[in-house]
Amino acid sequence: MWPSLQPTPEELSALWLSLKIGLWCTALIAVPGIITGWLLARVRFPGKAIVDGLVHLPLVLPPVVPGYLLLLLLGRQGPVGRWLHEIWGVALAFTWQGAVIASALMAFPLMVRAVRLAVALVEPRLEEAARTLGAGPLRVWLTVTVPLALPGVLTGLVLAFARSLGEFGATVTFVGNVAGETRTLPLAIYTYTQIPGGDGPALRLVVISVLLALAALWASELGARRVERMLGASGREYAGA
Amino acid sequence: MFRGTFLRWLSVGLLWLATGSALPAAAEQITVFAAASTTDAIRDLAALYEKEKGVKVTASFAAASALAKQIEQGAPADVFISADLKWMDYLDGKDKIAKTSRRNLLGNRLVLVAPKGQRFPVKLEKGFDLPGAFQGRWCSCGPEVPIGRYSQQALTALGWWTALEPRLAAAPDVRSALAFVERGECAVGIVYETDAKVSDKVEILGVFPADTHSPVLYPAALVQGAKPAAQGFLDFLLTPAAAKVFRQHGFTVLD
Repeated sequence: MWPSLQPTPEELSALWLSLKIGLWCTALIAVPGIITGWLLARVRFPGKAIVDGLVHLPLVLPPVVPGYLLLLLLGRQGPVGRWLHEIWGVALAFTWQGAVIASALMAFPLMVRAVRLAVALVEPRLEEAARTLGAGPLRVWLTVTVPLALPGVLTGLVLAFARSLGEFGATVTFVGNVAGETRTLPLAIYTYTQIPGGDGPALRLVVISVLLALAALWASELGARRVERMLGASGREYAGA
Repeated sequence: MFRGTFLRWLSVGLLWLATGSALPAAAEQITVFAAASTTDAIRDLAALYEKEKGVKVTASFAAASALAKQIEQGAPADVFISADLKWMDYLDGKDKIAKTSRRNLLGNRLVLVAPKGQRFPVKLEKGFDLPGAFQGRWCSCGPEVPIGRYSQQALTALGWWTALEPRLAAAPDVRSALAFVERGECAVGIVYETDAKVSDKVEILGVFPADTHSPVLYPAALVQGAKPAAQGFLDFLLTPAAAKVFRQHGFTVLD
């Protein structure tokens, strides 16, 4: 029953691919996620409810829906996809870059929610104090708001990374399931469950997924503790000032 | 006020759903697991059979490999129709089908398709450079799925497999592969002739010679522990009336 624990090159390639797509996805949405989260927490602007709704849609829709919309929009015959292909020679279907876009779309609301909550909890008087001391809005934002919201930002990044690792529906709908290119861990596991005799590789990938998830949780815990210590110190400085 | 209106509409909706699902219940119900390429034919035949005999036929379509695995793990299928002998043999070897009920129903052909309007000259014979004749990926399935295995055999026989293997975009079943070609995501695809005929968004570039791959055969059998009503449907698939429907969909009916 219990197969060898040594992963095959194919299984390892699914692991590396997942990590690559997860890291790119996280990097891609970090800055837009912070800005959007802050906008939703602090700024009143026309159409805010619509932006809020659109950002959160992927969280509540069945993942296959955003995936299908991406396919219609960015596929070879879609309005944007055709333009990309004709002008730039870029085709996203069956590429890992397309998988990054799919998982970024799915992970974005998690990032935004975490940041929005964290920014909402930042004491506005601290920002006002910085302004009265002569700091411009950008400086206040970069040196007070974002650093104080850092635990939330960090949580958002970890959630986004985890979401990207687990993303299945949008990815398989938009970029298919191509070995070595878009077959990430969940897609590889699913593929093996569809093949008689595929239980060995599937179980190995399950073990890898569990280890990876534990490692991500542990890393985020470590990061959060470090940030807390840092903020604790600077909080005392503010109090002293 | 708003709340009252909402609840009223909700109850109307639920009522509508309830009456919709309360169609006259068929006396009996059987489940057919069939290879994806038989989707349209089996759907038509199930409707026909239900109308004639009052037995409700529920069908689940997927790659034969996926269905075989589900049956192996105890999925409640009564009839299994595979797109190759391999997966039927596999279940046979595990004593999951009723051996005496097994017979070969249909035959099919392997074709090369392209998105409509993107036809290019192709010769499906040794010496032609198919890998150099198109750019990008080609769509079919992985080698565990029947269409993927036939594709691999045919491309190997014609000397194109080594060049084309890394360019394969493997879909979960043949109909998904067809959909990828329809959308133009793949320049070409290998599907069954019957699939190509279902779609008006692809064109057939050529038929693979029969000697390049093992014959495409569709065996059908009762699954172990099938409901008694399933035998009737399997017999029905062998009648001239069913043969007519299969032929309309482009299958070769075996004697």
